[in-house]
Amino acid sequence: MLIFIILAPIFLLLLYFIVQPQAVSIPIKGRHVFITGGSSGIGLALAHKAISEGARVSLLARSLSKLEEAKKSLHLAYGVDVGIFAADVRDYDAVKRAIVEAGPIDVLVVNQGIFVPQELEKQDMDEVKLMIEVNLVGSFNVIKSALPLMKGRKDSRPASIALMSSQAGQVGIYGYSAYSASKFGLRGLAEALQQELISDDIHISVIYPPDTETPGLEEERKIRPKMTEMIAGSGSVLKAEEVAKKTLDGIKSGSFSISFRMEGQMLTIATAGASPQRSFLIAFFEVLFAGISRIVTLLFLSNVYRSITKSHAI
Amino acid sequence: MVLFGLLLLPILPLLLYFIVRPRPLNIPIKNRHVFITGGSMGIGLAIAKQAAEEGARISLLARSLDHLEKAKQSIWEAYKVEVSTFPADVRDYDAVEHAINRAGPIDVLVVNHGVYYFEELEKQGVDVVKAMIDVNLMGSFNVIKAALPSMNKDRKHKGPASIALMSSMAGQVGTYGFAAYSATKYGLRGLAEALQQEVIGNNIHVSVIFPPVTETPGIEQARKTMPEITKTILDSTVEMTAEEVAKVTIKGIKSGSFSIPCRLDGRALAMATAGLSPQRSFLMASIEVVFAGLFRFVGLLFQWNWYRIIEKNNSSRKNRSPEVSGD
Repeated sequence: MLIFIILAPIFLLLLYFIVQPQAVSIPIKGRHVFITGGSSGIGLALAHKAISEGARVSLLARSLSKLEEAKKSLHLAYGVDVGIFAADVRDYDAVKRAIVEAGPIDVLVVNQGIFVPQELEKQDMDEVKLMIEVNLVGSFNVIKSALPLMKGRKDSRPASIALMSSQAGQVGIYGYSAYSASKFGLRGLAEALQQELISDDIHISVIYPPDTETPGLEEERKIRPKMTEMIAGSGSVLKAEEVAKKTLDGIKSGSFSISFRMEGQMLTIATAGASPQRSFLIAFFEVLFAGISRIVTLLFLSNVYRSITKSHAI
Repeated sequence: MVLFGLLLLPILPLLLYFIVRPRPLNIPIKNRHVFITGGSMGIGLAIAKQAAEEGARISLLARSLDHLEKAKQSIWEAYKVEVSTFPADVRDYDAVEHAINRAGPIDVLVVNHGVYYFEELEKQGVDVVKAMIDVNLMGSFNVIKAALPSMNKDRKHKGPASIALMSSMAGQVGTYGFAAYSATKYGLRGLAEALQQEVIGNNIHVSVIFPPVTETPGIEQARKTMPEITKTILDSTVEMTAEEVAKVTIKGIKSGSFSIPCRLDGRALAMATAGLSPQRSFLMASIEVVFAGLFRFVGLLFQWNWYRIIEKNNSSRKNRSPEVSGD
């Protein structure tokens, strides 16, 4: 017991010097926040939060009419005008045009996404392709379009690129093979990108929300396979506002991984892997609880596979 | 205190023995049909040779008929085994389906094809990024989707089947110059974790292989054009030969392991990044639990080392051209 009390602060000190990249603070007020998939759901909630904190906001989405509705509702709420840009993220040239028109970006929120759950065996390849192209290729298109201006920016303050993943981007779940593939991919992109952009004072965040109350979720729940609902349906469903608030807080503190509630934190600790961790305090907890985390994980998986076996025996 | 720890030591593996699912199993290779994409060169060809040596019936899919012919020749010369070859581009679903149907029911599907170009995302062309995603990720979906119907049929009498996906250590941690490649290799993990839950009921077992940099014609090419920093980071690892990777792969497939790391450093990374991947072996699970904290710490050390390399490289670049700095 005594040994532990002596070792803990030494270990904390060690972590303080080790954790990379270093902690950072990214201001939102008065800065340009560009949100893809910003006309509804989490994206729109983020726009609300960012405006309420004094940011200048631009929204990119496919549907011009939805964008205009969003613009109207934001103007009604805050008396502020947002820039709206209609483009499909799969179209690099259209995205590039929109981003150049929007002007230099300080906080890029790559939030667009499609999710259609189904067993791969039954799923239409067109749907698989859609998810990979919108969620993954589309994110590359957005980031590549924004990078030149972000790197050459005159504003000397730190900038941010935030990618909307999902808890399905931390663990693959029955029915989500394509969706999980696209969301897992965002993490590989983020880890590599952070190493490439750290010297430009651009900081990457990956957001891992659970099910969130959005029009998208409603649609998805209607077609969710029963097994998916059994495995994934027991977690909390968050309000878009809560996700938006935590997301923005995470972006402002330059956190690499942003998670929600206790279950989300545990999931992030369990899947921390070799991800960067800027906070030496959180790093301490990750190391301390890694073992327990793994046990909980194994219990969870055991349960999942038992349910699956049981449902097949019927 | 020490006594307490010693008492606890055997309890953990015992507990885990009862907990871990899915259960371990054996998947035979001999006399079974092994279908390998990207099988004409590199790791794919090495896997084909290893499987041929163990008495499997081999089918190879790749783009170039020429390379396929050469591969077929070399396997015949070494093992007097005739392999079937199927030229097709994995991006073309219909061509893949056609090939897989002609090949006949598959027992072990090795989704091994892949392309890689290492470059800073800022400099890399969008078409190159798309190519990697189309081939490595979408192509893998095409292959699996095309093979599933016949793999599902008659499984009870044919014994356990395997779908093995070739990921990479870049699919466990993203590194400088690997944005698109890591994205595709991470993606294979998400696919695999979900897929395993979907197909376990049909006695199909998913494996994901995580090799380090491997001596192949492909990597020689990539070395010429990769960024300095990427080279520095990769140079600190030791390459494996394709044959070594193939041996480890076949062994892992036969034991139905979900994660198949290569070598000790690969195993350490696999434990650190085990995340929510299934673990069938209660012994491995015990080690994962006991050393999880240590492995996370090692993961943090790796990031510390890489960011130091990056900082050093960037400051030396700034020193060489001071007038370019933008403040």
